[in-house]
Amino acid sequence: MKLYERLMTIDRRIIYGILLGVVTLPLIFPSVVKVTPMSPVEKLFTAVDNTTNDKALILDCSYSPQIKAEVEPMAIAVLRHAFKTRKKILVLSLYVEMIGLATRAINQVVEEFNSNAQTYEDSLIYGRDYVFLGWQPPPIVPMLGMGESISNIYVVDYYGNQTDTLQMMERIRNYNDISILVALSGSRIPISWVAYAQNRYGLAVGVGCTAVSGADFYPYYQTGQFTGLMVGMKGAAEYEELVEANYGVKGRRVASEAMLSLTYAHLAIILFIVIGNIGFFLHRRRK
Amino acid sequence: MKKTIPLTLIFIAGLLGVISFVIPHPSYQVYDEWIRNDLLRVLSAFAVVLALGSLLRVHFDKIKRKRKNWQFSWLLLIAFGGSAVVGLFGGVAADGVLPTAVGSFQFDIQTLYENIVIPLASSMFALLAFFMASAAYRAFRVRSMEATLLLVAAFIVMVGVLPMGYSISKHLPGFVQWILNVPNVAGQRGIVFGIALGVVATSLKIILGIERAWLGGGE
Repeated sequence: MKLYERLMTIDRRIIYGILLGVVTLPLIFPSVVKVTPMSPVEKLFTAVDNTTNDKALILDCSYSPQIKAEVEPMAIAVLRHAFKTRKKILVLSLYVEMIGLATRAINQVVEEFNSNAQTYEDSLIYGRDYVFLGWQPPPIVPMLGMGESISNIYVVDYYGNQTDTLQMMERIRNYNDISILVALSGSRIPISWVAYAQNRYGLAVGVGCTAVSGADFYPYYQTGQFTGLMVGMKGAAEYEELVEANYGVKGRRVASEAMLSLTYAHLAIILFIVIGNIGFFLHRRRK
Repeated sequence: MKKTIPLTLIFIAGLLGVISFVIPHPSYQVYDEWIRNDLLRVLSAFAVVLALGSLLRVHFDKIKRKRKNWQFSWLLLIAFGGSAVVGLFGGVAADGVLPTAVGSFQFDIQTLYENIVIPLASSMFALLAFFMASAAYRAFRVRSMEATLLLVAAFIVMVGVLPMGYSISKHLPGFVQWILNVPNVAGQRGIVFGIALGVVATSLKIILGIERAWLGGGE
């Protein structure tokens, strides 16, 4: 076999093996890689930061287990940020299969904060500091209905409490009391939030999405319809960096730990493409 | 009659949906809220029951007729029944009528979800990375000017989004943002306009009864 043929026909098992190595090794020996936050993530961070005491923010955890690795760190970073700065949070999911992931994220961050809390005031109390609204189908119902009344749409929360009896909900009635909604999703749900909730009620929408869907969302970010944008694992790592740098929140930074894996995987793919093209050039010159 | 009633219903429902965005008058908005907040939720509940019934019917039928891969239908039915039992008795988070645990393993929906659904779904999706790497190696060849442009842009974005992008040049991440914000948005916006026009046209065809494939019954 000639050299160019070798370069153009590397066995896929070799590609798989090398990729497996470069992805898993940095995860087995994790280390946090510092990233420089870019403006789309900084804008989202600032918007969450600017939530005033009389308003709440909504975190829409509509991401499926398939994209958990990319999007869950975003949910955790936003929750850490909001809880650290004592923002009121409403958490919801638009689809039932995502409820379990939202529960995981809330439980993890509440546990982190409450294990370090010294007093009742320091602790995160359900109904006072955060509410988990759960799931209400079909998605268009909460998207439009919460503009009129949140407790009419979510009559009971995820745990079966009457929503309007919760302390926090006395002041939070509809979108007028919401500073921003952060939609975490790998699908076109954030665009639906813009189409329904923002167009009709003027709700500010921030987004966390997978790297694959990031390119689709830039037109909405450019026009300002999305206040800010976290794209992929890198976006999550940038938000983690901002939360730690600005508020000193300590906790495992899963996205930042995965940056080495991501770097080596990208470099490995680039290397394979270059090798394939060298073979392609040699082959073309011979012809 | 079998066609006229559904077509009339879709016409009325479609029209009401459009009108709510055009007439902001409070008297109509009250009516619109009732459709969305009450009627739509009741319909969704019916849809869940229908979907479950349909799922069971399809798989029982597959097993009965021994169609291709009928064995997997047993797996689905067992998983379906198993999670229903766990959900009914163990509850969502050990809050059911009969919470059961074996050691630290709690039989509830959240435990099943975290220990079965999440690892399986994540693993399936993780396989994509391997296929993408192999496919990029085989397909990404500099055959033309357009392919070269695509390749160069891809390399810049792939390197620029990494933490090392800033070390190579402090301008590189900014340049990547420019690629995403300008050339990417220009292309995306054209596609979005095209899709939006297509959606409007298809919706009108369905509302007016020109497009009837959704009625079923055809080949």
